[in-house]
Amino acid sequence: MSNIIACYKWVADEADIKINSDLSVDTKKAKGKISDYDRNAIEAAVQTAKILGGKAISLTFGNAKSKQSLKDALSRGVEEGYWVNAEEAINADGVVTARALAAAIKKIGDFSLVICAEGASDTYARQTAPRIGAALDLPVITSVSKLEIEGNTLIAERKLDDCLEIVKVQLPAVVAVLPEANSPTIPGLKAVTAAGKKPVIEFKSEDLGIDFVSNTEVTETKGYVMNRKNIILSEGDAADKVKELAAALRKEGVL
Amino acid sequence: MAGIYVYSDRFDIAAELIRFAKETGKEAAAVSLDEGAAQQLSKLGADKVYLLNGDSPIAENYGKAIAEFLKNEGADLFVVGATARGRDIAARVAGYLGCGMVSDVSSVNYIDGKLVTERMMYGGAVVQSEALKGLSVVTIPAGKFEAAAKEGTSEIISIDVTADNRVSMVEKAAIVKEGADLKAADKVVCIGMGMEKAEDIQMAKDLAAVLGADIGCTRGIAEERHWLPVEQYIGISGVEIKPQLYISMGVSGQVQHMFGVRESKVITAIDTNEKAPIFKSADYGIVGDMYEIIPLLSQALKNI
Repeated sequence: MSNIIACYKWVADEADIKINSDLSVDTKKAKGKISDYDRNAIEAAVQTAKILGGKAISLTFGNAKSKQSLKDALSRGVEEGYWVNAEEAINADGVVTARALAAAIKKIGDFSLVICAEGASDTYARQTAPRIGAALDLPVITSVSKLEIEGNTLIAERKLDDCLEIVKVQLPAVVAVLPEANSPTIPGLKAVTAAGKKPVIEFKSEDLGIDFVSNTEVTETKGYVMNRKNIILSEGDAADKVKELAAALRKEGVL
Repeated sequence: MAGIYVYSDRFDIAAELIRFAKETGKEAAAVSLDEGAAQQLSKLGADKVYLLNGDSPIAENYGKAIAEFLKNEGADLFVVGATARGRDIAARVAGYLGCGMVSDVSSVNYIDGKLVTERMMYGGAVVQSEALKGLSVVTIPAGKFEAAAKEGTSEIISIDVTADNRVSMVEKAAIVKEGADLKAADKVVCIGMGMEKAEDIQMAKDLAAVLGADIGCTRGIAEERHWLPVEQYIGISGVEIKPQLYISMGVSGQVQHMFGVRESKVITAIDTNEKAPIFKSADYGIVGDMYEIIPLLSQALKNI
């Protein structure tokens, strides 16, 4: 039975990221989560499998910590969870990520569709789907706002900056969906319980022969400071606060 | 030819990228998939303009062809305008070349011969600097450089290439914008999840009418509650705005949203939660109930 593969990334929740006073970035206390937009990719795989037939499965590339993502992904409706376990994932750029995912997809072998989100919520680099397509020399459709299946043909609506396109392709293919492509369901208790019984398949980088060498080097990571006035009126009567604000905005010359 | 190769599906961005390429002192070449565009680009002082001829109406279908072309030419860098189409093409080219790529850079420079970039991560909370070796790909958003001035006529070199026709066009239509073009708005009133009912949007509209502002919203308002069209949500996956004045009501200030407003001249926030992150990124703020504050503010601004 042909697989429909949803790729996702286990990322640090940006709400928990701390910027220290020296602008260094502390992600140690950040909880992990399936990248927000990748939930749309998982949902698209589950929905598409219902129409196309085949099995919706998920695939991630992450270090040991990302193991906890598998149950979450499985509770969102996919039938099997695949995981490329490599410590190198932490510093992987677009090249390495695509190599790892493409190698795993090749190993999985039988697939009709690979679904990614446009970008991950940490880096939002929007490279993965086109790069996987290139690595496997498959056709790619990005910016997908609607997905339809007719036989073995995928018909996609693409939402670009200034136009809508309807394009079609024979499967297998790689697509990147926009957040508006669907509304992911929040897993209920039953789905979470069922997830614990679904198969998890782990690949090690040796199994896949992934080359982790890349030509981009991260030289610095620091907090971004938005230099703002931070004049916050919290005390006193509403009318007085409004008056004060209106006067300040007039002085700024922005009215 | 070694040097910097530039492509954008938008002429205005291509002109800015040519300027960047020329300023590095390296050879600057423009890549085009369309004869008309190649003619226009040839007026901007690039050393060469390459017209890649193929039989597909979809620019993305030339990813592999562009990669092969750049490899044959011995290019140093491929710079692409960061539009939806541009990002796709750039990542495919990087994929076929198996080379490094930095997306949506906020700055790009050659320092001591090394290509150095900066970009935002975690929805704008973090800046990451990178150094790139060898042939690389970078995407650059509009407005990072001035447009190259008209200067001479570049030689146009036409090359026949093979497009990847597996994806074919069924239909194409211009997007009819339902709301205002927020990107160009001078003032924006923004609605967040603190608003209780869809009818209350009227309150925001009243304030917007007084200010001559356009209405924007957070992703939740557009995608979860469907109160406003998705074209009107501001943030990393939505619209990025640069108005003189941004006023929010009931917006907590998640980083993804703040990424889209960071270019605003004055950020003003109204929210009940004193600890809402938006106040840390605001110039002015009122901690208070929007249902009380906004009507008072509309009234006060009407009288100014």
